[in-house]
Amino acid sequence: MPVTDSLPDAVRTSGLRKAFRVRNQAVEAVSGIDLTVAAGQIFGFLGPNGAGKTTTLRILTTLLPADAGEAFVAGADVRRRPQQVRRRIGYVGQLGGADASAAGRENLLLEGRLHGMGAGETARRADELIEAFDLGAFADRTARSYSGGQRRRLEVALGIMHHPQVLFLDEPTTGLDPQNRANLWDQLRELRRTGTTIFLTTHYLDEADQLSDRLAIIDHGRVIAEGTPAGLKRRYSGDTIDITPSLPPGRLPALERDLASGPFVRAARTSGDSIRLSVTDATQAMAAVFSLLAGRGIGIRAASLAQPSLDDVFLRETGRSLRDAGAPAGPGTATPTGEKVPA
Amino acid sequence: MTFALHTSLFFRRKLLETLRQPVWIVTGLSTPLLYLALFEPLLRSVAGRTAGLPPGEVLDVFVPGILALMAFGAGMGAGWVVIWELDSGVIERLRVTPASRLALLLGTVLRDVVMFAVPAVVVIAIAIGFGFHAHWGGLALMLLLLAALTASCSASSSALGISLKQIGSLAAVVTGVQLPLTLLSGILLPLSLGPGWLQVLGHLNPMYYAVEAARDLTAGTITTATVGIGFLVTAAAAALALCWGTRSYHQAMV
Repeated sequence: MPVTDSLPDAVRTSGLRKAFRVRNQAVEAVSGIDLTVAAGQIFGFLGPNGAGKTTTLRILTTLLPADAGEAFVAGADVRRRPQQVRRRIGYVGQLGGADASAAGRENLLLEGRLHGMGAGETARRADELIEAFDLGAFADRTARSYSGGQRRRLEVALGIMHHPQVLFLDEPTTGLDPQNRANLWDQLRELRRTGTTIFLTTHYLDEADQLSDRLAIIDHGRVIAEGTPAGLKRRYSGDTIDITPSLPPGRLPALERDLASGPFVRAARTSGDSIRLSVTDATQAMAAVFSLLAGRGIGIRAASLAQPSLDDVFLRETGRSLRDAGAPAGPGTATPTGEKVPA
Repeated sequence: MTFALHTSLFFRRKLLETLRQPVWIVTGLSTPLLYLALFEPLLRSVAGRTAGLPPGEVLDVFVPGILALMAFGAGMGAGWVVIWELDSGVIERLRVTPASRLALLLGTVLRDVVMFAVPAVVVIAIAIGFGFHAHWGGLALMLLLLAALTASCSASSSALGISLKQIGSLAAVVTGVQLPLTLLSGILLPLSLGPGWLQVLGHLNPMYYAVEAARDLTAGTITTATVGIGFLVTAAAAALALCWGTRSYHQAMV
């Protein structure tokens, strides 16, 4: 279905594709992405490293031309009206983008003037952001001297200098300590409150879960699930079982394989001393698991119906865990709380 | 209008960047002054024994060559900073603003032109003290010509940096072309002193025409064909390099 220019959505894409040539072989990084992001929300783009998140973001921010498909950002066609898109969006890349040889304030002033703001307006806005992002103590020192957290704050401030309608952030909290991470989340929520749409990529499960209003999970260049974090987890609720058998850890992988091929089980993964099963029917699967373990004389230390996490959504759709797919959980990840079932 | 504003913003940014690292200003001046102090006496003692190199006018032949070397050197450093800016995401960020890509390139090019012209004037002043005969009109035109040479080197260096992406590769390419380009332009001694085959090779080098024209201009012979060809070739090289550089900025990606 073709998308049109008049819709109020912050981002709308259809059939977006992009391939790169790697050693004379075409590797498709983005394989037909359809997305709709309503204005005013925080949209999370979750996926493992190499899933195509950054490539998609680069297409949406006019950095990279798509091979096929359409994309509209803030009402403008990315391919035909890149200048309009650039005026309406802010971008905080994975590499940062603060000019280390210039002072923080100079970075902000340049950004404002490039976006067509007058000298007075730019100076006022820079003061405002220096205040809001607590940059005052070092705003006139060159950015080379900043700590990681200070630099990231400057970079987010650069991204919103010109009051963009949509702010894109690529892995904004990677490398930040928990304190700076929590502060950035607060700042992004505050931006949403003032009407800015936020589109961010992340490979942190908890970040996607807690920060985004809606999210899309991407793997191998395709969107494999989309919805609100609660809705996505609800769709899979009751479908996850945690079993802690009384076995030494060395024997867990073999048991995991046997359980994975059992009835009603979609996928299994070992985590610590327990095995987590993604199943089609929790009651039936639980009974089957119990009888298999009883038949082998393996005791059960604990068994629970787990609250599904976004990782279960990923596991269910791909057969892999997002953690195994090269995506560590963020610092301070909440472990899913389980409803204990007597074993 | 917007283009002029963006160019001046980027020029100011680049100039500040340089002024904060005065070591580059010192090295920019020390190379030509060392040539004048340590190589020129050598040349002076050879002159007079060589046809085409009269003893009294060694500096008149030598200074334009040194200035051309300065023009070349002032431009060729641009690529290093571009790679650093690619790696730190600065270029990516600027590419998401409505800024003109040509303005982005010109910020660096104009800074490099200034970083050529200011030390060049200092070197000329010192050389006059040592007996360099300056023809003012010709000298002004020569600075203009060599500024265009700096611009083509600077834009090419930026374009090379963006396409090679690695400091090591850029260093290999730049050092690889630097020596043949400068030797085959007759910077230290006019190629007309050399054998025929050397002169043929020189004619394949765009920089050769700039150096030849620079020698005519300092001598005050402004209306020669050599000067005309020098300006044509250098202007064409600068235009090509600016197109190449702008194109590279359009696609710049880590």
